[in-house]
Parts: sequence; structure tokens; C-alpha cells
Amino acid sequence: MISPRTLRNLRKELRSSALAKIGIVLVLAMILVAAFAPFIALHNPTNQDLDENTLPPMGFSRTTEETTSEMVNGSLQLTNETVYVNATASHPLGTNSLGQDVYSRAVYGARTSMMVGVLGTVLAAILGVSVGLVAGFYRGRIDDALMRFADVSLAFPSLVLAIALIGLWGRAAVDVPDPFVVFGLVDPVRSALGLPTGMPDSFVLPGTVIVVVGLVNWVWFARIARGEALSIREEEYVKAARALGASDARIIGRHVLPNATTPILVLATIQVAAIILLESSLSFLGFSGTTLSWGFDISQGRGYLSTAWWIATIPGIAIVLAVIGVNLVGDWLRDALDPGIEGEGGV
Amino acid sequence: MSYGRFLLKRGLQGIVVVWGVVTIVFMLRFITPGNAVDAVAPLDASPELRERIAEELGLDQPLYVQYLDYLWELLNGDMGYSYISGIEASSMVFSKLPATVELAVASSIIAIGLSIPLGVISATRRHEPADYAATTFSLVGISTPNFWLGIMLILLLSVQFGIFPTSGRAFGFVQAFRITANQGLGAGADAFYQWLRFITLPAVTLGTYFTALITRLTRSGMLEELGQSYVRATRAKGLPESLVRYKHALRNTLIPVITVLGLQLGTLIGGAVITESVFSWPGLGTTLINAINARDWPILQATLVVIGTGFVIVNLVVDAIYAYLDPQVVAE
Repeated sequence: MISPRTLRNLRKELRSSALAKIGIVLVLAMILVAAFAPFIALHNPTNQDLDENTLPPMGFSRTTEETTSEMVNGSLQLTNETVYVNATASHPLGTNSLGQDVYSRAVYGARTSMMVGVLGTVLAAILGVSVGLVAGFYRGRIDDALMRFADVSLAFPSLVLAIALIGLWGRAAVDVPDPFVVFGLVDPVRSALGLPTGMPDSFVLPGTVIVVVGLVNWVWFARIARGEALSIREEEYVKAARALGASDARIIGRHVLPNATTPILVLATIQVAAIILLESSLSFLGFSGTTLSWGFDISQGRGYLSTAWWIATIPGIAIVLAVIGVNLVGDWLRDALDPGIEGEGGV
Repeated sequence: MSYGRFLLKRGLQGIVVVWGVVTIVFMLRFITPGNAVDAVAPLDASPELRERIAEELGLDQPLYVQYLDYLWELLNGDMGYSYISGIEASSMVFSKLPATVELAVASSIIAIGLSIPLGVISATRRHEPADYAATTFSLVGISTPNFWLGIMLILLLSVQFGIFPTSGRAFGFVQAFRITANQGLGAGADAFYQWLRFITLPAVTLGTYFTALITRLTRSGMLEELGQSYVRATRAKGLPESLVRYKHALRNTLIPVITVLGLQLGTLIGGAVITESVFSWPGLGTTLINAINARDWPILQATLVVIGTGFVIVNLVVDAIYAYLDPQVVAE
């Protein structure tokens, strides 16, 4: 499906664009961090250690008022003291109010974002592309009905529809075993590196969220696929296939779809970015099935803005870097393949 | 097709979409697990009481009767009463609507006012520092979740420097007008100042994504238009560069920008929901989230119907402007 000319264009664009290189580096970094989270995290991200709560990141310190009482000449005397809380090397980006390691939580949060971003996009693409190809290929009444339905779903903002559906359907989640931990690969490596062992042996996949973000974002794929189908169906090779007696299903699957992949691929990249943002919004508002998510951590840090800025700040930086990376890769694909779509599909 | 007929056709299509919106909102209840009576009845309700509640809510009727009833009541402006507070859903939703509209309009003004000049500067000074600054800003802007941006603005401007209040809304724009009318200019100026203090951070938070998005669109559209042969022709006949840029190139750039804006309106409303939650802004978004958490169906349905209908209406307006700017659309 990828022609040599396409590959040449991609390489050419990559050579000339520094931004494309940055994007690829960011996306690769995120994939690696998400995949190898149990090796990269410093602590179990869910371990609470109340003795080490709200530690600042390296290079910062936090002041707190401490009251000590002592007996002086038979009466109780209270002294207020300003105590400095310093960062520790074992929590380089600090800890949250429960003493959980902010860095390790950001590492595991990448998994949630990646999984929801990619699986949600795949689901949206399957739904949208099927509807769009059928509508564009058959035109007429089917097209009218499907596209009116698309108009109706477009009238509900993704986020609004998503919180309504998740709020009503519940926040079902699936526990997926972490293969590295289950096969016992993690603990030996961690002990060899001198890191604490006992990483979570499973990973929570927020199932409802994935289904819902797929359901609320299919329209963008339907619009693109329909437009492509409308023009491809008029091509000579489609007419030839039809003259040879090919069935509609075969024409759509073997001729229309392969020729529509470029714009769909570019849209899919933009959608991964949009869905990562959508997922973080949902978990920020408490409409998610997992607590290991950047959005959730930001909502937790919100209550500590005046005392511990890092709790809400660091996961946000992670989101921005991830989304910038995906957007830059999207720009690279768009510029190299030029499918003529522009910035469709927001949060 | 004349412009009038075009508007009529779009209007009828809009009505069909609104009907679809209402139908989906109605169906939402039936694709949701759990009995609607449970949301209202006390935990120890007797079967008789539950039956009476079902009867009162019309839940004992066949589905199509409930659907037709729902449509008929909506046409009469009746959206039911809140299960929680007993307040009329329509008056509750319409009392919250101005706050959301105010926020959306304020952020759109910021977005349009900043982005189009930024995009034009960026396109006309390609590969100069101003272009790099604008493209960096727009890349970061479309990649930043607005709730986090809001929190960072609160952290910096409210908590650290105390310039803006952290959350809430003193009063609406209309109320500020009323104060001016009733209590004179001095009190009025103070009212508008307070209004501005409260709306600034939420509006910037909501507007940043759009500022970034439109800057990108304007820049790429402008670059494309400036490379067209008609631009060369206008330059060749000696038109001043400012006319070439603003009268010809920018005008043609704005047409596709307007289409994307119409499509992205949903993003604006969705963004308003989360921005309201960050700043405790008492609008539709806050109402929606509370209604979902409390399973307050009448309020939830009324909010969704108003949001969906609002989207359709604004898109009609966008279409009308679009067709006015580009008569080709009407001809097609």
C-alpha cells in the first residue's frame, strides 16, 4: 500500500524539516516510555508513602510551618518554626500529597494516553471509514441518511457526548497483565540497577473511555472517507473492475479503500493527538476508569497549587510534549503526502 | 439558486438535524443501564410507590408514546422538572446559558482578534523571527490541554501574583449594564471592571486553542494564496502590496478558515465545559456535569438539547456568512 514514491516523499520531507525530526523523536520516546514503563519508573506509581508526601522536585524546596510544644517553667509553650522540606534524589520530580512518585506516575500515565489514543483512533477509523466509504460509494439515499446522521453526531461536542456516555454507562476498566512483570523480567533488572522492586503486575485499561472516544470521533473519518470514495468511484480503474464483474464489496475493499489510505492515515495521526487531549480532559473531570493518568494527576494537584505546584505542572508538561510530538508527525505526513486536509478533528 | 432559497434549504436541513439531536437525547435514556425510577425513588420505596413514580414520569407508557410526548412537550417549551431541586429544567438551563455564551463569545473575540494578524504576519514574514514565534506559539497552543493551561494561569497570575481571582463569576455582562443604568457611570465602570477581572482567565484559557488553530490555518492559507497567479497579476498591474495582501489574498484565505471554524464550534463548546469546571464558572458545562453525576435526567436532557440546537443555529449563521462571502457555494 505504501508506494516507493510515497516513501521517497516522506524521506525528502523528513530531511528538510527539523520539526519532523523533533516530532519523531518525541513520539518514539513516548512509545518507549509507555512500553517499558516498569523498567523506567523509579517507584511503583501507586505506592503511597505518607512520610515522604509532597516532596519538591530536585532543585526546589518547600517551606512548611511546624509547631513544637515544650514545657517552660511549668507552662506549655508553643513555638512556630518554618521548616524547609528538601528534594530527595529518589524522587527527582517530587511526590504528591499521598507520597506517590510524580515521575513514575508520569511514566505510567504515558501508557494510558498511548493506549487510549491509539485504540480509540483505530475504533473511530474502523467505524468512520466503513460508514464513509459506503456513503460515498453508493451515494443517493444511503449517503443522505448516513451524512445527516453524521451531522447530528457533530452537533454534540466530543467532550460533552463522552462525559454523558461515560457518566451514564459507568467507568468499566479491564485489567491487562503487564507481560514484563508477569514473566519475571522486571525484578532482576531493577535489583541489578538498585531500584526498588514490586512494580504493578497489571495495567488498567479504561475500556469505556476507549469505546466512547471511538464513538464520538468517527464522524471525522466518515467525512474524509466519503469524500475520497466519491471521487475514486469515478476513476477508470473502478469502472474497469465493475466491467469485469467485481462485486461492490470487492471494489470498495480492493480499489477504493487502498486509494483512500493517505488522507485517512494523516487524519488518524491528528486524531491520536486529539484523543490524547480528550482522554486527559475526561480523566481530569473524573470520567475515566483509571487513576494512572496525566489528567487525573492534574486534577489531584489542583488542590495544592499554592503549596505544591509540581503535582499539577509535571503531568501537564508530559501531555504537551506528547501531543506536540504527535502533531509534528501529523504535519510531516501531511506535508509529505499532501492529501489536502487541514486540521480537522479537534477535542 | 438564489441566496434566499439557499438559506431556506439550509434552515430546513438544520431543523432535521435538531430533530435528530432531540431523538438521540431521548434515546440516551434507553441505552443507559439502570432503571430511571431508581434515580428518583427512595431506596426503601414500596412497589406501589415505584409504580406511581413510573406513572407520573410517563415511564409506564409504550416507547413511541413517551417519544411523541417528549417531542410535543419540547415544542411547547416544556423540558420537565429537575429530579433533585424540582426547578423547571428550561428555566434552569436558560439561566445558565448566558454565562456560557459570554465565555464563548469573549474567547472567540480574543481568538479572532489575535490569530488573523498573527497568521498574516507569519505568512508575509516567512522564515523571520516573527514567523518562528507565531508558529511555535500555534504548535504549543493546539497541543496544550486547556484545563491545564487554566490551572497554570491560576498558579501564576492568581496564586503567585494575585492579579486575577482564581474562580467564579461576579455577574454577567447584562447585569453590569443594568448597574450602569441604575447606579450611574461610576458604579457601572466598577461593575465592568469586576466583570473583566473574572472573565479574563477563563476566556484566555478557552481562547488559546482557537487562537493557535486559526493562526495555523491563516498562515498556511495565506502562503497558498500568495503563491497564486492572480496575486502575481495584481502585483504586476501595480497594486500596492497592502491591497494585494489584505483585499485579495486575505479575503480568499478567510473563506476556508470560516468553514473550519464552524466545524470546530463543537470543540469550543466542549472546551467551555471543562474551562467552566476549572474556574467554577456557573454555566451550562457545570450544570451538565452535575446533572450527569446526579442522574438528573430532565436537566441532562435539556442541557444536551440546548447545546446541540445552539451548535446547529451557529452553524447556520456561519453557513450564511460563508455563502455571502463566496457566492459559488450558493450556485453549487
